[in-house]
Amino acid sequence: MREDGPEAVLRFLDDLRAAETAGAEVLAAWIAVCGLDGLRGGLRAIGEREAAHAELLEERVHELGGTCTAAVAEAVRAAALACFGSPAMADEEKLALLLGRYPDDTAAARPILAVCGALAADPETQELLRLIAEGEGATVAWLRAYQSGLRPATTPD
Amino acid sequence: MATARAEVIGLLDAFQAAERAGADAVGRWIAACVDPRLRGGLRVIQSRDRRHAALAVARLRALGGQPVAHVGRDLSALCGVVSDPGISDRSKIALLLSRFPPLRDAPLEDLVRRVEGDAETHALLETIGDDERASLGWLRRMSEALARDGA
Repeated sequence: MREDGPEAVLRFLDDLRAAETAGAEVLAAWIAVCGLDGLRGGLRAIGEREAAHAELLEERVHELGGTCTAAVAEAVRAAALACFGSPAMADEEKLALLLGRYPDDTAAARPILAVCGALAADPETQELLRLIAEGEGATVAWLRAYQSGLRPATTPD
Repeated sequence: MATARAEVIGLLDAFQAAERAGADAVGRWIAACVDPRLRGGLRVIQSRDRRHAALAVARLRALGGQPVAHVGRDLSALCGVVSDPGISDRSKIALLLSRFPPLRDAPLEDLVRRVEGDAETHALLETIGDDERASLGWLRRMSEALARDGA
């Protein structure tokens, strides 16, 4: 099996589907305990975005003749659910934890766009992934903007 | 000044009806579309529109409302064109893009601005607006690609 062949693409799509599914699940747990109205509203739309991505990727894997078998490691999933679903942990802390994984707003989209670039022979998957990548970037950008709004304004001495 | 709850419910109701109609129309467009590039992006747009409608319904129910709105004549006509397999992809995209000025990239800006004093609904619509902005940007890129192809 070639690493850059159709099997590798299917594996990428399935891995991404599994990550998006877990992401939607973790966001649902966060929404259930989120104490900030504005953040909760944004998380609802972002959670649906993740779930939509997972559903689209699953459909595409099947259309391309693959099967969906990937799953986020149970220990990782359980730890994320316990952390983001915890009413004892502050929303600000959860935001910082999540955004700490992305040094900039394009970091979440980059790995997806890298695969997009190699999919010239499959333009349907390419455009699907391109819009999914934009969605990931929008998620990080919105959360970062929200986080910035939470910080108290600093006053000059 | 905070927007009255009844007004927010009305805005959400109109929005859910529009998104649902849009998702249905895009679904019919996909069924007839032979360009794989377009199908790929349209599938994302349709999926998101359907979920936006569901989010709006859930929010308006949480605020005590019921979804009762139907789309108006103009939007219904637009959906008819988008659904029509006899109209070219390029014409459909041009029609959709004509609804937004070239330099405007925030399709839900007016709606978001009208919801004040309800942080959850405001943020919900703001984030949905990010999806709409991405859809609009993608349609513009596809319009240019089709023009280059001479499609």
